[in-house]
Amino acid sequence: MGSSPARLVIALSVAAALAVFVVYTALAGAGVPQILPSKVHHYAGKDVILVGTVVATRGDAHTAAGMHLVLRDPSGRARVPVVYHGSVPDLYKVGRVVVVNGKLTDGRFLADKGSLSTKCPSKYTPAKSSKA
Amino acid sequence: MLAVIAVVFVARPFLRDPSPASDRLDELAPEARERLALAEERDRALAALKELEFDHRTGKISDEDYRSQVGPLRRRAAEVLRALEHGEGARHERVPDPGERVP
Amino acid sequence: MAYLGRAALLLAFGLVAYALVAGSYAAWKRRRRLAHSAQNALLAAFPVTLVAAVLLLVALGRRDMTFVYVWQHTSHELPLGYALSAFWGGQEGSLLLWLLVLTGYAGLAVWLNRRSRELIAWTVPVFGLVACFFAFMLCFVSSPFNVQPAAGDGQGMVPSLQNPYMLAHPPLLYLGYVGLTVPFAFAMGALLSGRTDERWIVATRRWTLAAWTFLGVGQLIGAHWAYVEIGWGGYYAWDPVENAALMPWLAATAFLHSVMIQEKRGMLKVWNMVLVALAFNLSLFGTFLTRSGVIDSIHSFAKSSIGGWFLAFLSLMVVLSIVLIRWRLPLLRTKTRLESLVSREATFLYNNLLLVALALTILWGVLYPILSDAVRGETRSVSKPYYDFFLHTFGLPLLLLMGLGPLVAWRKASLRSLGKTFVAPFAAAVATGAVLLALGFGSSWPGLLAYTFSAFVGASIVFEFVRGRAAAGGVFRLIARNRRRYGGYVVHAAVVLLAIGIAGSSAYQTQRERVLKPGQSIEAAGYTLRYSGLKGVKGPNYTGFRALLAVSGHGERFNLSPGENNYPIEGQSNEASIYHDPHSLGDVFTTAQIAKGNSIDVKVFVKPLINLIWVAGFVFVAGALIAMWPDAVEQRRLAARYAAGAAPAGI
Repeated sequence: MGSSPARLVIALSVAAALAVFVVYTALAGAGVPQILPSKVHHYAGKDVILVGTVVATRGDAHTAAGMHLVLRDPSGRARVPVVYHGSVPDLYKVGRVVVVNGKLTDGRFLADKGSLSTKCPSKYTPAKSSKA
Repeated sequence: MLAVIAVVFVARPFLRDPSPASDRLDELAPEARERLALAEERDRALAALKELEFDHRTGKISDEDYRSQVGPLRRRAAEVLRALEHGEGARHERVPDPGERVP
Repeated sequence: MAYLGRAALLLAFGLVAYALVAGSYAAWKRRRRLAHSAQNALLAAFPVTLVAAVLLLVALGRRDMTFVYVWQHTSHELPLGYALSAFWGGQEGSLLLWLLVLTGYAGLAVWLNRRSRELIAWTVPVFGLVACFFAFMLCFVSSPFNVQPAAGDGQGMVPSLQNPYMLAHPPLLYLGYVGLTVPFAFAMGALLSGRTDERWIVATRRWTLAAWTFLGVGQLIGAHWAYVEIGWGGYYAWDPVENAALMPWLAATAFLHSVMIQEKRGMLKVWNMVLVALAFNLSLFGTFLTRSGVIDSIHSFAKSSIGGWFLAFLSLMVVLSIVLIRWRLPLLRTKTRLESLVSREATFLYNNLLLVALALTILWGVLYPILSDAVRGETRSVSKPYYDFFLHTFGLPLLLLMGLGPLVAWRKASLRSLGKTFVAPFAAAVATGAVLLALGFGSSWPGLLAYTFSAFVGASIVFEFVRGRAAAGGVFRLIARNRRRYGGYVVHAAVVLLAIGIAGSSAYQTQRERVLKPGQSIEAAGYTLRYSGLKGVKGPNYTGFRALLAVSGHGERFNLSPGENNYPIEGQSNEASIYHDPHSLGDVFTTAQIAKGNSIDVKVFVKPLINLIWVAGFVFVAGALIAMWPDAVEQRRLAARYAAGAAPAGI
């Protein structure tokens, strides 16, 4: 009597979903690079997400001059100075890994206002004893 | 202590019945499977009729749609009930669903 | 005590390994006593795991710092409730919780269905396999019973976890995640035993609904926790760990709908198997995500050694699911076809496709950093704009379908019938949309569409109740006789409230930020907040400050006092101050940080209708309970059906 329209519906729907996906990716671009301080110079002038460990911090993020911090590769030595304005997350401190959006300009990373976030100290690291 | 209790509990089927007449795990015979399939068909058909009646009473289905669907559904339900009563199963009687694809 | 805990875990591992090996052999060779013995091993695993869990809880309660886990996650100052909640606050404890819930669920599900001997014989080893993995991890890879010389004090608990929600959010999520193992195990058991009748669906229907409810409520509680605790003014950040709970929930939602088609029409058997496997594997994937550190998330970052193990197990379960479904394809195929593209079956099919599409696009977004790193050598991530786009693209049509589905009859509906039932909800939607557009809500087209579609769905639900009540002779009678249908409508009503709350609080929110000296003000959406000064606060294990804000606007006056707490061991924590407007159901949400001296950096969010999101949670639970409530008549009918069908061979 005729095959089930279910398969046609599914095939058309999958095609439609893929079409939406392709159009979106083409128009909106494919994500923002997430990079470490050692690689940031390759992206000078471009919007990136910078991830690094805080090694030094001074100044006040709520003032016009902003907070000046230095980020280092979590497992390396490369460093980059960052200027940040906006609210500072609770867990921010020297030694913590942070994530911040912005772009590298004239050798300094100018962070987007309010984009600084820290990661929760992981509850899922392997157990270390007090003697470690 | 906990380990002993656990081991005894695990071994219980063997301790209770060390020499059974049959240690074979039950499985449905093919006739029983067919009967079960028919029982499910019966319940589906009866539920479909119940839903159709309800949808008609609540005005979701027009009289025309109701009349066009109730007949085949009632016939379907009757056929399945008959097949179950006679224990014929699908081996002997093909009982197609109104929505079934006809080859 | 740690020795006892390790011994209990080893015993649990032995029991579930026996359930797996002996159970598989017994099912394959059809050995009755061995199958029963394997079943008993699975049942015994729960009390044994419970012993290990109780021992850990006692160590946490006593703050026994000879336990590395206790030292890592508690301190002597930590209040008792939070110390106990550290049970699921760390990796080892959360794995133990997984095993505890799994063995509990597995034991109960198997015991309740013990009369379906053929099906249970194969279901037991599937449960055993999953439990074996977690027990193995606990015994040999990541034990909560590692010891050390007694330390002075522990490392404490992260301040943002010191919140009453810590007592509810993780356990509820686990009851959901782990609960999805039950339908999966029964489904795979059905495939292995060749029992492709609906016994496995009947056996697991309420389990699936319960797991789905727990997962939904757990996520809502997590969202509320993030909202009140983290202080960024939002409740869902599309963080990978948040998405890890959403994806299996979406797959389970699709499954709950399509399984109705199988029950009523005998169709979509293959699709249902795929969905139940997808939901379970996504819940495993979520567990893997939060532990491996493979994806950056604000929830976790350090690469953990167990990531590799999880990935291997997840791969095994995916392959097993595919192989079993492929093997039993001939048994799963049916001849029943979809009669009409305008039928309730068809709307369920469309809804399934949208739900799965949304789940997969979220999965793509979560995996994107790994994939881009692998392909291009560069880690790229997607964020809110990506997720919002697909939420609008797939979510808005889903919302519309929720209103269309109830209007359409099973099998087929003529356009004339559809037109009759469609008119009133459509009119309600058009009227709502027109009024909102006139009031200026056109500033956000997704928000406007969400409100308009919500009006359509709300009206269609109301008309269902009105029409049904007239036919059944009363609302209670109507619901009592049609629990699943009307329970489902109540759940849909909850989703409508959720959609309105989300649209209002995101598409139409107002956000302002300013540094204020005492005496200065900030304005937002008709409210004026005047800062008068700072006040110190002191708690059991913290000190801090509060910024005093006098607020006026929209005919109301109230005070807010956002600030921060400082925990000597754990660090600093933001304390938002929120005013819930009983008239508008919206919030005025504030946070404050010290800028300099007495000056504060204050953020204000005015979030219309946000409290509908939390109200939706209660309505959701009510609807799920109605749908789950046992119907004695139906229970007797099902028992008679399977008792007759379960007659042993030769009798």
